[in-house]
Formats: sequence, structure tokens, C-alpha cells
Amino acid sequence: MSKKELLAMLLAGGQGSRLYDLTKDVAKPAVSFGGKYRIIDFPLSNCANSGITAVGVLTQYRPYLLHSYLGTGSAWNLEDGVAILPPYATQTGGAWYAGTADAVTQNLGYIEMNDPDYVIILSGDALCRMDYADMLATHKANNAELTIAVMPVPWEDASRFGLLVADETGRITEFQEKPPVPKSNLASMGIYIFNTDLLINELRLDDANPESSHDFGGDIIPKLLADGRRLYTYKFEGFWRDVGTIASFHETSMELLGEKPSFDLFEKDFPIMSNTLSLSYPPAYFGPDANVDDCIVGNGSKIYGDAIHSIVSIDSVIGKGAVVKDSVLLPGAIVKDGAKVINAIVGENSTIEEGVEFGSADAGKDYAFCGNNVVIGKEE
Amino acid sequence: MAKAIGLITANYSTKFPSPLTDSRPAASIPFLGRYRAVDFALSNMVNCGIRTVGMVMPYNYRSLIDHVGSGREWELTRKSGGLFILPGSAFGTSRTGSRFLLRDLAHNKVFLERDNADLVAVSACNWVYNVDYNEIFAAHEASGADITVLTQAARDKDVDVCSFDVVDGRVKGIKHGAAFGDTAFLDCFVVGREKLLELLDWYAANDYLDLFEALAGDYDRVNVQAYDFEGYAAPIFNKDTYFKANMDMLDPKITHELFSVRPIATKAHDNQPAKFVTGAKVSNSRISGSCRIYGTVTNSILGRGVVVEKGAVVDNAIVMQGCTIKSGAKVEYAIVDRNNVVPEGTEIKGTEAAIFIQAKA
Repeated sequence: MSKKELLAMLLAGGQGSRLYDLTKDVAKPAVSFGGKYRIIDFPLSNCANSGITAVGVLTQYRPYLLHSYLGTGSAWNLEDGVAILPPYATQTGGAWYAGTADAVTQNLGYIEMNDPDYVIILSGDALCRMDYADMLATHKANNAELTIAVMPVPWEDASRFGLLVADETGRITEFQEKPPVPKSNLASMGIYIFNTDLLINELRLDDANPESSHDFGGDIIPKLLADGRRLYTYKFEGFWRDVGTIASFHETSMELLGEKPSFDLFEKDFPIMSNTLSLSYPPAYFGPDANVDDCIVGNGSKIYGDAIHSIVSIDSVIGKGAVVKDSVLLPGAIVKDGAKVINAIVGENSTIEEGVEFGSADAGKDYAFCGNNVVIGKEE
Repeated sequence: MAKAIGLITANYSTKFPSPLTDSRPAASIPFLGRYRAVDFALSNMVNCGIRTVGMVMPYNYRSLIDHVGSGREWELTRKSGGLFILPGSAFGTSRTGSRFLLRDLAHNKVFLERDNADLVAVSACNWVYNVDYNEIFAAHEASGADITVLTQAARDKDVDVCSFDVVDGRVKGIKHGAAFGDTAFLDCFVVGREKLLELLDWYAANDYLDLFEALAGDYDRVNVQAYDFEGYAAPIFNKDTYFKANMDMLDPKITHELFSVRPIATKAHDNQPAKFVTGAKVSNSRISGSCRIYGTVTNSILGRGVVVEKGAVVDNAIVMQGCTIKSGAKVEYAIVDRNNVVPEGTEIKGTEAAIFIQAKA
């Protein structure tokens, strides 16, 4: 295994419990998004587009689909590949990952095997386009030991986030976790670049500390600050969304639409890659009476009815006289003839039966959603 | 041990040159937006468990190699077996119209000798169909034939399709051209591996002939049985049949049979899902990934990454990968080959009887 400058560790073990039925069978990073992608495509594409060649993916919750989707990592042009890192046992026993830091601690061997100068810790469940190489350049320019990606959030929302207070050079002076009175509006994005020696050292200390909850935000960063280490921010002003709730999943999906979308899948410089090897569907079919207005539509889908301001994922069907509006059909979803899907998310391979109304045009109501492989009939 | 190996003759060159095949071999002609003709031959073999496939290359093989690569999409990147790129006749010596030129097969005897499979599935790639070779293997073994050819009653008159004289299921002769109802040859056959090697030795002196021409005087000696294919099959030898076969893909029943029962794999690309803005109108069409539609598309097939600007109209047309139809332009009864930009206000117009072809840009 050759030496690498920057190794990525991608935290992908989260359940994503606030996505409810969408993550009943699959880990959150494996949830479908954007017509043909899965959430993990976004950080993996960022890695590839940033010149990273090896990514350790830390998995734990419902891993089958995620593991098979990742394969060797060649779909993202990661030439040293993806290493799938679930919890494992040693001679002294084994344990589930207890926190974000613990997950990495349990895989320090993988980091040592790759012998990188720097390690970037990524979250497998947020959506952004980010050049990690630029972040690394900033890290080096600051002679930092840890660099944390931050994004400005509106001051009125700031107290919902973990905030970093920095001086004019970007050096972090204080960390505030969801403070009632925020001193900064720079929210941590959960993306960290560590000098490898420091990371290994700190994780070993943290592991030995019975008081620690083994979390990067809660334990590691406050300790490094207290130790007077060189912690810097990397300010990110681009598109970043957490898609961890039904509402944010729906709303972020809608941000892909329109002539000038907030997140443009068609941006050429920084392509989003996906594992399409197994997806040999024919091009999308539009029936004689199809009506498609402000949508993205994946291969293999068949539209006979109306698709309005919606994401119509690969292999999904909108039947005759059916209407899908302001909604997300995940791959393989079937909306049968005459059914109406409004302000809703329909899970993978799920069916909305003929004539059923799923979701409501009432803006005051929550988005309707169903999990994968379910049938929504008249009585539900 | 796999029961059969596959051999694809991808070096067929068309008798009637068209702008579509000026720049590419017939095997890599795009079909239904995202596929190429060779996908059907390759996928059919892989779908029935064949894991060793030789492909006899045409002289202008760039686009074909680009497409099949190492065979990854067909699961042919393997330690044992996999995809074998085989040399075809040198430029100038391949005869137009010949699908199974003896010289091409004889050149590659080593490929046949090195395996120990019982059978060889041989296919050209000028047809669109999804066949289960296991059914042909079973028929071949049941009948004890030397060769079993895949056939179907011709749906149309076609001068480029070969047809057989068949008596009680046994082939007695072959001719170029098929009239309606003739027993058309789907350019696919199954033969014992050792039998094929034996035939190549027999006809070594006549290696400028097609295998089935060489057999002409010997159909009493060599038992060639016809196996009737009941599914959808369309030849794509020339402009008209190519256009018609593409338009057949606007019938979801046909595409279901062709693509959903057993998959047809093709080269993977990182295409975005197709995008449609407010004001786009699309009906009775097939739209590939990475297309962006602002205008009107009716009764058409669009390849990957086609942009139809506001006010542009595409009707009864095949528009291949990477084309842009500018605002106010109109494309009708036409095949627009790759990477063309149809300028603002221009019309590219054929008729139902005379499809216009805009060559690759």
C-alpha cells in the first residue's frame, strides 16, 4: 500500500432515524436521492474530484445495500479503492462504534496501513459539492493541526448548531455547542482535516478516557482547543444541506429543479458519479398523453400521466391519468392509473394503488412519505 | 466448465454505405439513445451464462473498443475466460455483406481450440433481439444438428437480410435478401466447437466465402436446423430498418420484452437524470440521461446529453448523443448523428418515405 497525502474516512454508519421508514431497511448514506444517486455518491464524488484515491467507509447500521453499492469504489474512479470498515472483533473482544471518534479509533490500523500525512473525516449523509483539496491547501497554509469546515448560517438559527468562534486569521478560539447566545454564526459541517500524528495520538487518549463519549464535536475538538492546538476554520460558502429529516430531504430534492437550481446536477466541473454498472434501463418513456413540467426523470421510468415539479427516479412509473406533483418518486416507485401524489416521498419499489390520493396540497400539512417495498391502498 | 463459449463477428460492413456507418462499424451504431448494436449480441451471450466471448473486430474498431472496453459492464472482466478481442480480416479484404467470413473465423482458430466447451454460440450484431441461448442449446442437442440457426419469418422485405430454404426444419439453402414471410436468418447460430473447427478445415481453401455460402453445396451433408425465434427481432442493416426499429421502441410492450425480461447491458456513464423545465412538451418519446429539454419533443428517440432549447421542435426523429437543437430549430423525419448543433431557426427535414440523415459533426 503506497503512501498517501490525504486519506478520507467517511462516517456512514448512522441510522438516520429522523428519516423514519426511508431508512428502515437501508443506512442513510444509501438512501436514494436526485433521481439516480444515493446520498453517499456526493461525498464520494467530492473525494474523487478532489484527487483523493482511497476512502475508508465506516459502516454499521443496515449495511448490505450500502456495501454492495460501494463495491470496490471503482465507480467513483477511486484508484486505491473504497475500504468497507464495519465494527470487527480482536483478541480482546469487539464492540459497536460508540461515537464518531470511536469509529475512527477502531480503524486506526487502516489509517496506519495507508500512512497518510493528513486524514479528512467526512460525513456520509450530507449533500454538498466541496473541493477537499482546497481545504487541505488552507490547512497547510495555516500550518494548522486541525481544520474544520464551517459555513455561515443565519444568526437567528445559529443556536441550533455547533458553532466555532474564530479570530481574523481563521484560528478557532472557542467552540459553542448549540449555545443560547451565539458568539458566531459559523456552523461546523462535521468535516475535519487532521494531521495524522495528532489524530492518532488524540484518538488513543480519548479511547482511554472513560469520561469521553467518543465524539469529534463533543470530546476531541474541545480538548484540542483546551490544549492550545492550532485549530483553524475553512469557510465554505457553497451549497450544503443535511438531508436528515423528511422535510429537509424533500426540500433539498426540490432544490435540484428549475432552470437555475440551487444545486445543479449538470455542473460540468465537479461531476457527481454513481455506481451505474447494474442500471441498464432504457431511456425514460413518455406516453402519448404525458405531461412533464419542471422535473428530472431517470432512465427506465415510464410516464403516462402528469409529472409536475417532481423527481421521477429511475425505473418508476406514473400511470395514465395519475398526477405526481411537488413530490419525489424513489427508484422503482409505481403510481398507478388515476392516483395522485402531492407533496410526498414514495419509497423505492413502493406502489400507490389506482385512484389513491397520497399527500396533500395543503401547505400546512407535513410531507407524506412511505418506506421501501410497500403498497399504499385506498384504506390507508 | 461452461457449456458454451461465444463468438461475435463484429466486422460486418454494410453494403449500402450511409453517413451513420462512415465513421463507425455497424456493430457500434447507437440504438435507442444509450445502447449500441453490439450490446444485444454481448448481453444475450452473458445472460445465458457464457463467460468467454471472442469478438472479431472490424478494421475501424475505435468506437467499438471504446464501448466494450474490457467487458466490465457484461461481467467479462474475469481471471478465466472473459472478453477476447480477436483480429478480423485486414482492411480491404473483408467482404461486404458477409457476416461469418470463413477467413475471420479461421484466423482465430486458437480461440476455439484453447477452450474445451462443447458448443459455440456465434452471433453478428446487426439485429435487435433478446434471446435465451439455453433454448437454442436445448434444441440443438435434441435435434442432433451440426448447426442450429436462429430464424424468424420475415416481417418485411429486406434485401440485406439473408434467408434460408427450409424443409421440415432443415436448411437446404441460403440466399441474400428476404421477402415477407421468408425464413429470415437472425445472424446467430449454435455449433459444436469441434464441428466448427472441422468445418473451418474443410473450407480452408474457400476462406473468402461466408460460412453459409461455403455450405451451399453441402446442406445435405451438414445438418443445419432452423430454430424459430418467437420474440421481437428487428434487423438494423440500413437507414430505413434502423429508423423503424428505433421507433418500435416507443411501444412499451416491445421494450419490456427487449430490456426487462433479461437485461441488456451497455457502457456505463455518469449521466444525470434527464431534465425538463416548465414549458417543455414531451410525448411518445424516449429521452436518455443528461438530456435537457426546454422545447418540444414528439415521437422521437433522444440520445444522451441532447439539449432541445426553448421553441425548438423535434418530431419523428432520432437525435444522437451530444446534439443541441437550438431555439426555433426544427428536426423532423430525420436522424441527426452525434454532436451536431442545429442552428437557430434551421429546419432539418425528411419525409416518412425518405428519412434525412445529418452526418456526425
